[in-house]
Order: sequence, then C-alpha cells, then structure tokens
Amino acid sequence: MQNAALKHHGEYLLEMVGISKEFPGVRALDNVQFKVRPGTVHALMGENGAGKSTLMKCLFGIYHTDSGEIYLSGKKIRFTTARQALDNGVSMVHQELNQVRQRNVMDNIWLGRYPKKGLFVDEDKMYEDTRKIFNELDIRLDPREKVEKLSVSEMQMVEIAKAVSYHSKVIVMDEPTSSLTEKEVNHLFTIIRALKEKQVSIIYISHKMEEILQISDEVTVMRDGKWIATKPAKELTTDMIISLMVGRDLTNRFPEKTNMPGETILKVEGLTATYQPSIQDVSFELRKGEILGIAGLVGSKRTDIVESLFGIRHVSSGDVYLHGKKVKNSTAEEAIRNRFALVTEERRSTGIFNILNISFNSIVANLGEYFGSTGLIDEEKCKKDTKWVIDSMSVKTPSQRTLIGSLSGGNQQKVILGRWLLTQPEILMLDEPTRGIDVGAKYEIYKLIIALASEGKGIMMISSEMPELLGITDRILVMSNGRVAGIVETRETTQEEILRLSAKYL
Amino acid sequence: MKKVLALLLALTLVFSLAACAPKPAAPAAGEQAAPAAETPKIGVTIYKFDDNFMSFVRRAIEKSAEGKAELILNDSQNNQATQNEQVDMMISKGVKSLAINLVDPQAAPAIITKAKAANLPVVFFNKEPNADVLKSYDKCWYVGTASAEAGVIQGKMIADAWKANAKWDKNGDGKMQYVLLKGEPGHPDAEARTKYAVEEVKNAGITVEELELQTGMWDSVKGKELVDAWLAKHGDKIEFVICNNDAMALGAVSSLKGNGYFTGDKFMPVVGVDAIPDALEQVKSGLMVGTVLNDAKNQGGATSDLAINVANGKDPLDGTQWKFDNNKAVRVPYVAVTKDNIAFAEEAYK
Amino acid sequence: MLSKVSNRLKSLTGKDAAAWAMNNAIFLVLLVLLLVIIAISPDFVSINNFRNILTQASTRIIIALGIGGLIITQGTDLSAGRMVGLAAVISASLLQAAEYPYRMYPDLPMLPIFVPILLVAAITGFFGLINGFIISKLKVTPFIATLGTMIIIYGVNSIYFDRPPYGAQPIGGLSQSYMDIAQGSINLGGFMIPFLVIYAALVTLFIWVLWNKTRFGKNIYAVGGNPEAAVVSGVNLVRTILTVYVIAGVLYGFAGALEAARVGSATNNTGNMYELDAIAACVVGGVSFSGGIGTVSGVVTGVLIFQVINYGLAFIGVNPYLQYIIKGLIIITAVAIDTRKYIKKK
Repeated sequence: MQNAALKHHGEYLLEMVGISKEFPGVRALDNVQFKVRPGTVHALMGENGAGKSTLMKCLFGIYHTDSGEIYLSGKKIRFTTARQALDNGVSMVHQELNQVRQRNVMDNIWLGRYPKKGLFVDEDKMYEDTRKIFNELDIRLDPREKVEKLSVSEMQMVEIAKAVSYHSKVIVMDEPTSSLTEKEVNHLFTIIRALKEKQVSIIYISHKMEEILQISDEVTVMRDGKWIATKPAKELTTDMIISLMVGRDLTNRFPEKTNMPGETILKVEGLTATYQPSIQDVSFELRKGEILGIAGLVGSKRTDIVESLFGIRHVSSGDVYLHGKKVKNSTAEEAIRNRFALVTEERRSTGIFNILNISFNSIVANLGEYFGSTGLIDEEKCKKDTKWVIDSMSVKTPSQRTLIGSLSGGNQQKVILGRWLLTQPEILMLDEPTRGIDVGAKYEIYKLIIALASEGKGIMMISSEMPELLGITDRILVMSNGRVAGIVETRETTQEEILRLSAKYL
Repeated sequence: MKKVLALLLALTLVFSLAACAPKPAAPAAGEQAAPAAETPKIGVTIYKFDDNFMSFVRRAIEKSAEGKAELILNDSQNNQATQNEQVDMMISKGVKSLAINLVDPQAAPAIITKAKAANLPVVFFNKEPNADVLKSYDKCWYVGTASAEAGVIQGKMIADAWKANAKWDKNGDGKMQYVLLKGEPGHPDAEARTKYAVEEVKNAGITVEELELQTGMWDSVKGKELVDAWLAKHGDKIEFVICNNDAMALGAVSSLKGNGYFTGDKFMPVVGVDAIPDALEQVKSGLMVGTVLNDAKNQGGATSDLAINVANGKDPLDGTQWKFDNNKAVRVPYVAVTKDNIAFAEEAYK
Repeated sequence: MLSKVSNRLKSLTGKDAAAWAMNNAIFLVLLVLLLVIIAISPDFVSINNFRNILTQASTRIIIALGIGGLIITQGTDLSAGRMVGLAAVISASLLQAAEYPYRMYPDLPMLPIFVPILLVAAITGFFGLINGFIISKLKVTPFIATLGTMIIIYGVNSIYFDRPPYGAQPIGGLSQSYMDIAQGSINLGGFMIPFLVIYAALVTLFIWVLWNKTRFGKNIYAVGGNPEAAVVSGVNLVRTILTVYVIAGVLYGFAGALEAARVGSATNNTGNMYELDAIAACVVGGVSFSGGIGTVSGVVTGVLIFQVINYGLAFIGVNPYLQYIIKGLIIITAVAIDTRKYIKKK
C-alpha cells in the first residue's frame, strides 16, 4: 500500500505551505509545512499546544491564517465555513463527537443537505444512500436507530460515514481511538484501510504511538507551533517520535518507583451495583502505599468500581472495610469524610469548574474547612492552601486568580490532584489521570502519583494505556464485563496476560 | 425511585378525588335543605374570585340562594375567554339560568348568543352590558348600580366635608387641589366615578385644581405607589385624595402613613368607594373621610333572586322588592358612609 | 384513543407494562383524569362536553404548536400571550360591525375578513422575527429576549388600544361574519363540527408535515439537539431560528384573530399569560426544554390534558382555588414521569 502511495511521489492531495498564525502574545503557528499524499494515512503528532488543532482550524477556515497558502488537488483554497470545507471534500471526525443525539443515524448523516422530493424530505432515498455507504464500509447499523442508543465507536462510524457521504478526499480524525476497545479499534482500522483503497487521505491525530506506527504511512511531528519533521512511519520508532515531539531524548518514560506497599488498609468484598449492567461481586484489597492499577476494555465497568466506592453509584450488596472497620459511603460527602478521594475521568465535565479560578478549583472539595467561627470564608487559609496546591503540584500559572480553563490539560489535572490532597485522603482513586495530557506533563503526573504512594496513600488508578499501567503500578486488577477477571503482580505480568484476562467474561 | 413515582401519581389522584368531595358550600347545603322538591341548577360566573368586592357579592349570592337553588360557581380568572368556556360547560351541565359577572362588558353578545341557542335566561350583574345588547334578547336582565350614582354620592360627600373643614385648604387659596386614583381605564364604573365625583364637587360651588390623575387599576399596591410618587412630587400641595375604589384608597392611606400623615395635625382627606370592611375600619379610626357603600349584600341578593325566579320560569321580579328601569336593569342604590352612619354599612356585611 | 389505550394495557403484563406506562405517562395521566372525572360525574360523557373541550382547546393548540417548535430549538417565548392580545385587538378594531356606534375607525368600510387576519398575522410574524433576531443574532437568551418583547408588545398594544375617539374601551361590536368564523360550525352528517376545531386540525396537520417531512423541520430538531453539530453540517442556525420564531408569531396572530372572534371582544389584556399555559402544555406533552425533543401529537395531547382539567374540574364543581393546586401537581407529575425516560440510572 505504501508503494502505491510512493508512486505518486511529488503529487500531493493537500498542501499547506508556510502557514503562520499569531494570537495576541503567542505565535501559534510558525511557517508550518504539511503535505498529504492521496490514499495515505498521515499522522499529525505533537504535544498538546504544539499547534495541531490550530493548523486544522486553519484548514477548515475556523481561523484565518496570517500568511501561507493551502492547496487541495493543486487548487488554491480558502474555506470560510465548515460547510464549505465539507462541500470541497475536506471533513473532520471530531474528538468530541458532534451529533444530534436525539435524532436517528441517517438524519445525522444528511444533516444540512437532506434530499428533497418536491417540498418534502425524501426519507427513502436517505435510507438507501445510507445503507449503500454502510455496506461499502462494512458498518452494521440501522440507519433509523437513534444516535443516543449507539456506543461511542458506533457514533464514530456514523461520523466517518457522514464524511464519506460528502465524497471527502481528506478526512481528519482527531483522537479517534481515545474511547474505543481493542476490537473497535481494529474495526476502525479496517474502515480506514477501505477508505485508503478509495484514494481517501486520512489525517490522523493521536497520542497513541503504537497505533500510529501500526496504521499510518507518514508521520509529521510538530513542536511549539513549528514543523519539526515528516517521515515515513516505517522508519520511525516510538522513542524517535517522542524525542522529536519533546525535543529531547526520553530514555525513560516512567519515573523510578520509590513507594513501598505496607499493610492492607482497604478491603472490598462482593461489591455489586444496583443498576445493571454494572459491577458484580467485586472483591479486592488495597495496601498502604500501593498503586493498584485497574485495567479492562471500555465497557468493562472499571469506572463503576470507583464510583461505587465513592458513593455516587447505588450499591445493592457488598462490604467495604477501611482499616478493618466497615464503612458505607452512600454519598460523595460521606466518602470525603471517610477520606476517600476521586479524580474523575471526564475532566471537563466532572472535574474542573471551567470558568472559575484556580483558587476556587483548589478548595472546592474541602469547603467546610474554610469557614471559621464567623461563618465567613477564611481568605487567608484559602490563599495558603491554593499556594500549597500550586507549589507542591508545580502548577504553571501566572496567579491564583487565573481561570482554570485557560491552563493546559496537564496543569488542570495537577490542580485537581491538589484539590483532593487537601481533603487529606487515605484512598486516592484516579480515573484515567493522564488522558489528553501531553507526554512531558504525563511524566510529572506519574512522579506525583508515586510520591503520594510513598507518603502512604492507597492509590487506585484506572487506565486504558497499557504502558502506563505496567510502568507505575504495583498490582493490576483486570476487569472483564463487570467482574474481576484477575489481580496480577505488575512485575510478573505481561501485556498479553492482561489482554487475555480482559476478554475472560466476554 | 419507582415507589416515589407511584406515590406521586397516587397522591395527585387522591388529591383530585379529595378535591372533588367538598363541593362549593352552597349546593351541598342546598341539596340537604330541600330533599323533596328538586332545586334548579344555576350557573354563576364571577369575573375574578379574589376580587375584594366581588367576594362579598359572591357570598351574598350563596347565602340568598341557600335552599332555593344549586349554584355552580366559576372563577373566570379575569379572562373573558375562560368565562365563555365556563358558560359552554354550564349549558352542557344543564343549568336552568345563568348569572354572569362579565369580565369584559363588551363581550355580552357572545354570552347571549350561547344562551339564546340553549334558550336560557341570563342575569348579568355588576358589570353592565350595553343597553341595546340587553334589548337584543328578551330573557336577559341586569342587576347593578347606576354607575354615575357612586360618583355623584362620592362628590357630595367630598363637597360636604370640604366645606365643613376650612383648614383642609392648606394653602388658603380657596381652591381644592386634588389627586385622583382612577380604576381600570375603560371600565364604565371608573369612567363614571371619575367624571361625576369631580363634577359634583364643582356643582357644589367649589373651585378645584387637578394635580394628578392616573390609573391605579383598582389595586392597593399600585395606589400606594402612585401616591408615594405624588407626595414626593407635590408634598403638602395635595389637599384631597379621591379614589375610584377602597382598595386604592387603602393604598393611599398606607402611603400617607408612611409619609408621616395622620400623626399630630398632619392630615389628608381620603375618600373611596365600595365600603369594604377594611375601609370601614379606616373610616372609623378617622384615616378615611368616607366611602360609598356599593351594596354587595343587596346586589348579590337581587342577582340571586332574579336568577332563581327565571330558573323556575317565574317573572324575574316575582316576590322581590326590586324594580326595573327602562333598560331591564335593577339599580341597587349606593349609600354614602362616613363616621356617622358606619353601623349601617357594617350591617351590610353580616 | 381511550379504547386503544386500554386495549394495549390489557395485552401487556409485568415489566413490559411498567416500561410502557413510563413511556406513555402522558396518555395515562389523561386517561386517569378522565376516569376520575367520569367516576364523580357520569354525565360528563356527552358529545356536547367532548365538543366543548375540543373547541376550547383549538386556539390553545395553535399557540402551543407555535411555542412547541421554538422550545425544540432550546427556545422559549414569553411574548406569545401578548402577541395574541395584540392580534386580537387589531383585528377586532378592523372588523367592528358597520352599525356599531363606538367603532375605533368610524369611517372604515367593511373589509373582507381575511385582510385583517393576514395583516395581524404579518404583524405578529414581524414581532416573531424580532424575537428571532434578538435570540439568534444578538445572542440574548430566549427567556430574557422574549421577556423584553413581552413588555414591549403590551405597551404597543396598550397605545393602540387606548386611543381616541373612545379611549380604553374594550373593542366590541364585532361584525357578525367575523364572529361566525370562530363561533360557527359545519354540519357533517348531523354532527356539528365547530370551525375552530377544523382550523386547529388544519394547523396541526400543517405543523406535523413541517416538523416531520421538510428540511426545515429536521433542521429545527438538529439545531435544538446539538447546535454546534448543526452549524458544522452547514445548517444556517440564524435562519432556522428566525424562521421558527416567525412561524410561531404568525400562529399567535392567527390565534389572536380567532380569540377575539370567539370571545366577541378584545382588550389589551386579552391573551395575558397564555404563553404559560402553552409552555406548560408543551412540557407536559413531552417537549424537552433542553431541546431536540418534541412531537406534534405530544403538544396536542398536552393541550388536551389541560383542557380536560380546566373543563372537567369545573364541570364536577371543584373549588376554583383547588383547581390551581391540581393543575400544578399534574404539571410536575407528568413531567417528572416523562423525565425518567431520559435519566440514566447510576
């Protein structure tokens, strides 16, 4: 397949040349080159803030470039609306899937250009056309199904089908696998290969090195708004990409483990959730100073464990013992009082208070501590604790009053970690703590997690990234279809064993 | 959660059921009082249940119909469309006559059309349809007052009081500087009371000067707010506060109190119309000069008498003390109420 | 509908029935209400009552369908009632009987009835356009935008209404032919069908086709369900919102003209608070305030539920104040049950 692409050497489908874009105070793009050959998968890589999204926004006309030119099939283009881009065969499958969930699949695909028969919408044609595209891409979905009933991967397929329906020549996929299972990723790759056959080019934005090396033909790396390199994927390794992205060699992606697990502090027996499908009969122990990884496919209900322990999911049976004493958290308030803490998966929707400042975001889980005898908030203590969060988590921010929404993902996550540490937890539960965070910042988060374990906290960490689990945990609990498939020692296990366990109850 | 829901649904049901049990007092009492002879059903609509004055009329109707008719009472919620619908409903329920307190006096033809179609007699009360509309249907009549009369009586009362209290002419210019709180614009009573009250004062030989005239929409709160503003603007230049009804007069009194009146020798004469109990209290304690009794008891009584008579197929005035004027209307007279005859007015509410 | 509902009830058992009940809560509420009313007053079952309820629901259905469309786009409209009032006053003022002595325009010749109706529909359509403009272009939240226009329209209406020669007089003496279009009925095989019911049925059909069969209809749902997705797909957000408010305005105008004819007069207070009834009916009928969800049948059922409550409770003689309490409880109950469909349990 790569040979086919190479035959067209010199012929680019999409060329972005000398693109520069300046925002007040920041040079977001600096003379960037980006050239995509027809019928190839071209990975676009870089840390968060490297300029990938800005570059794509320039392509779609959401931003106007200060200088530079864009050519599609040799023709100079300048889109001003997303629709114009679509009509010219350039489309995007968004990271946050942009669909009208209350409507059905075909309504979503043909949104904005429903076929008409006289005055009315031609539903039959819509149905037939949708079926045709689904057949081509081997998507098995009912075009009349409501989108809200679909899984994330199915929604994504609908988005891809939509792109195809526009006869797109270039499809941008932004973190397409971030919430897919292994099997779904494979299906996605099948679809991507089918698209390549049709001479469609894919711009593939992702943080997952392994996937990129597996699916892409070429890789372009950006850093600090600049183009760094474009190379054939087969000439690259994970470490090479990382060093291009970070600009230095990352010989070790994980910090040294210094924590020493001690005695058992938390014991969970037969935990079962009220509303199924969810967790069933989950039992495990957590030791002081231990990092317990929780692995499993998407849909294996990993998150439900921590939600149940934190009192935000109804539990029908099962016991939880903290230091041998039975505890029951039926609300988050109780959980916090019992010194549990939960850093949630969806940072944007359930983690940060986007439009509020760092100070508020730091103290919010612990508000009760800031009211003295007067009943009014103790500003001094707030300042002191916020300073502690910023310093000890090394949050990069101009001030305590900065809105958290303006920080990078990594820094936001550090504030949230700090927030929970202010509650003096014994049990710290982290749900995908490094999702959407760039490589450099990830390293710092790992360091923090290990440091916290060394201080004696019991830590549970849910993650979809296998290297991360293998890199910093002590033991790994593998979930499969709501049940515990096994608990393994990290030092003795392998990626293969974990995958095998993940499929145990499917 | 399901239990909570079931409970909620059940609660709503029980509520609706329970709600239906205590039917309006009158019919229940009526049914018991006359077990043998079937009493006729009479459909009554009140333009707005929570209207101060109309609630007394309603009570008078209920009281006077006790044992003689089964009343179906409706609250038209100050909405003519609602009232029309209630009339449809009552016709469908098989009432023998209608007693209608219109929301909008202009809407009488629509009601008459409905009544005509069902061959039902109608007694309008308190809000007067046009004379020619009343003439258009032989089975409809009106019970009310002569709109002009309240104004005339109020005007007389103002003139008498003014002449008797020379020091009320604070600036000594021999003229009466007054402010007037008007009812809802377009309401015949509001228009008539405003016109005739002032006219009557002039007729008594008093020179007047109108400082302000605004609508308080019959409402205490609006009345108070307006007087607040006027006091701020004119202060002691105001020598008389004339109100189209007592609710607004009460608002005016409360505003005056707040501005330091009625303490020491700071005084302001206020008059109203309707003689509602609150206002009588104010008259008694000297905060209001007087009011005009819009005789709720007799209006309600007359309405009920006429409606029952026609429901039973009798002559509307059969066995009553009332007379029709040229327009098929019974005019219940107004009475001026001051400190001197307050006992008479209080009697009207018993 | 009654027999259909009970038949389907019989054929289901246990869990199915519970799920079915949950999904059709609105119809169940209506059914239960009817049963309670009939149990207390069996003579409620009559063609006359049935016709009265339908007739009375007619103008409300027209208003509610206008509001329903814009609630689907995540909008709301507090100005609806005032627009109804404006339309009622203007059309009444232009259609007073020639022989009526207090005409607002004493020398106005008799106009063909459709002229004033089209005129008021155009006027309220224009105010709808203003609403849509403020919401879509100036990005003011619909609640605030229409709160503003509600007050403005009342002011405009009052100025028009309270003018010489006769000042703030209720506008009555409407021409017979005008009143006939609302109060009349047509004899279909011995069964009298009120014109109002026919208008409501036609508007319902029109809106059903509009919402379900046209591009514009699908765009409404898309804009309400996910405005961003709609924009990215090339749906013209501004135009869609403008249009939906204009259509609502035109419907209010039509309803207002009918309302004046139905009542036989109009004042500047005609239509006051109608919007709240309409919004309540939509919400009870399953139109979601968060947008993207709502059906014509739901809206119509919602209006009918309220009409059955209004009419039925008065018919069985429930204390008027108690009726308010029952209405409030029913709104909350119906929506609470309906909402459960969309809540994910944890």
